[in-house]
Amino acid sequence: MLGKLIKHEFRATARTMLPAMGALAALSLLANLSIRGLTSGLSDVPVLRIVFILILVFFGIGIVAAAVMALVIMISRFYRNLLKDEGYLMFTLPVSVHSIVWSKLIVSLVWFLLTALLIFVILALTALNLSNTNLEMIIEQLPSWNDLMQMLDELGIRSQVMTFLFQWILAMVIGTLVTCLHFYASMSLGHMFTKSKILLSVVFFIGMSFLFNLMEMGYGIGVAGTADTARWDIMNGAEAMRFVSSMTWHGIIISAVQGAVLYLATVLGLKKGLNLE
Amino acid sequence: MEWKFRGDLPIYSQLVEQIKLGIVSGSFLPGERLASVRDMAAEAGVNPNTMQRALQELERDGMVYSQRTAGRFVTEDMRVIEHAKKQFAEEQIRGFLEAMGKLGYSRSEILTLLEEKEEQNGDT
Amino acid sequence: MAILECRDLSKRYGAIQALDEVNLKIEPGRVIGLLGPNGSGKTTLLKLANGLLTPTGGEILIEGQKPGNESRSIVSYLPDRPYLAEWMKVSQLLDFFEDFYDDFDRDKATEMLLRLNIDDSMRIKEMSKGTREKAQLILVMSRKAQLYLLDEPIGGVDPATRDYILDTIIRNYNPDAAVIISTHLIADVEQVLDDVIFINQGKIVLQSSVDEIREEHGMSVDQYFREVFRC
Repeated sequence: MLGKLIKHEFRATARTMLPAMGALAALSLLANLSIRGLTSGLSDVPVLRIVFILILVFFGIGIVAAAVMALVIMISRFYRNLLKDEGYLMFTLPVSVHSIVWSKLIVSLVWFLLTALLIFVILALTALNLSNTNLEMIIEQLPSWNDLMQMLDELGIRSQVMTFLFQWILAMVIGTLVTCLHFYASMSLGHMFTKSKILLSVVFFIGMSFLFNLMEMGYGIGVAGTADTARWDIMNGAEAMRFVSSMTWHGIIISAVQGAVLYLATVLGLKKGLNLE
Repeated sequence: MEWKFRGDLPIYSQLVEQIKLGIVSGSFLPGERLASVRDMAAEAGVNPNTMQRALQELERDGMVYSQRTAGRFVTEDMRVIEHAKKQFAEEQIRGFLEAMGKLGYSRSEILTLLEEKEEQNGDT
Repeated sequence: MAILECRDLSKRYGAIQALDEVNLKIEPGRVIGLLGPNGSGKTTLLKLANGLLTPTGGEILIEGQKPGNESRSIVSYLPDRPYLAEWMKVSQLLDFFEDFYDDFDRDKATEMLLRLNIDDSMRIKEMSKGTREKAQLILVMSRKAQLYLLDEPIGGVDPATRDYILDTIIRNYNPDAAVIISTHLIADVEQVLDDVIFINQGKIVLQSSVDEIREEHGMSVDQYFREVFRC
């Protein structure tokens, strides 16, 4: 059933996300043409100059808008599909609340990652365009995966780098999920009440942010207290990497704990406190 | 056929009356196969269980009969239909006589009135 | 076994007692009218049966079990409001129902929709209010469910639509199932009912068959209802 929920969730979100991403890709093409135009003789024509600059401004806005769009879709899908009239359909399906929440989480995660990837690719290509380098040349000069691994082996930091990479991806995924769940839990709890549901959702959101900040601070101070600060000056590279890695683990764990708490709050609110108008 | 229901009698008994009247007046022909209970119910705008109950009562009266697989049919026995027809007629007459009695007419006066009416109708 | 049973079922919203120790048993194969004035607890009862609300006291059972995934696969529910996403096309809705309900008969639904000139590519937002209500009912009645819970299916519709809706219910419900129709428009539904439940201020006032009421009191359920609830 989770698979079917995900399928229909994609259907509901793709109709906005795909055109938005397509528009951003088109805009980036225009922007890069404008960059070329600005560096060519065409920019001597004042009207064209203005047009080129305007396109670049829109490009900047478009990148921010795409990221915001992913966030807005994530929030509004949860709100409209579960907490308003459509909730009558969703919560009378023979599926568990867990599946419903996970389907929304997974689909939001995918859109966030895709949007991030798109923005990354677009910015990288724009940077290449700006520096006037030949893309083919760069691709030729890129080391192959095997060469890269060999290089890391020679430096003796392969396992550390791989751990970093793994941690980085894990932190990104968990961080995104926690962001989603922060909104979900706030709305889910806020809508247990009969009045001022949206206001209460905002209050829950801010309240939880505050609590989590406190928790992170407390945890950070606790962890820092155990660290042997006297050794910082004389740490070698490998030791420093281990230290950073262990700090990152702490960060991931604290995020995961927050995520679990938020998830439970979301599910509990929807299961016990559902209060559709 | 048009279906009309009054508020003061159970719906199934009104269905029995109306279907019977339909058979007597020829809206349903002798030997005709009746639609399914659900379709008849939908047509009359009533609940299928109610229609079922009415048809069972009509079956007890011999107005309709069912064949296990083929469905339900209007009786081909004309005596049963005639009998029902006569019952309706008697009911009408009883009501008529009662109403005339309340107006103070005697039997012979009623008969005279009926004959006069008949002659008038004959003239036109 | 009763398809729906309430045992001392209560629901309170803050200071408002929406349902007050309701005891009820509903057997399969009957069409039941849940009749009461606005705000009498009809919608609350149906929401509890769907697990959209949690009781504050007592319990409600569907085939002996509390509302959950199993009960939801045998209950077909029509809420008292438009609840289908406006952007969806008919074909997408049919996919949706087919994916989640094993008892959904897609061909039947398509045929009924086509008869109303609603084709697969039409979106919900392109439909008039009456058409939307019909389309919702068609989806709900195209399931071969064990229990149909229809909340105000004829509220605020014109007489032709009302006839269509009642006809659709009668022609399509699974005869082994129970159908509960909640409404305050008694005269309009009376003919299609086997049984009636009168509910007022969260309490069950009467549970009886339509024929019994007509035989015992010599009046229609509508007239009797007015008598019982005369203020």
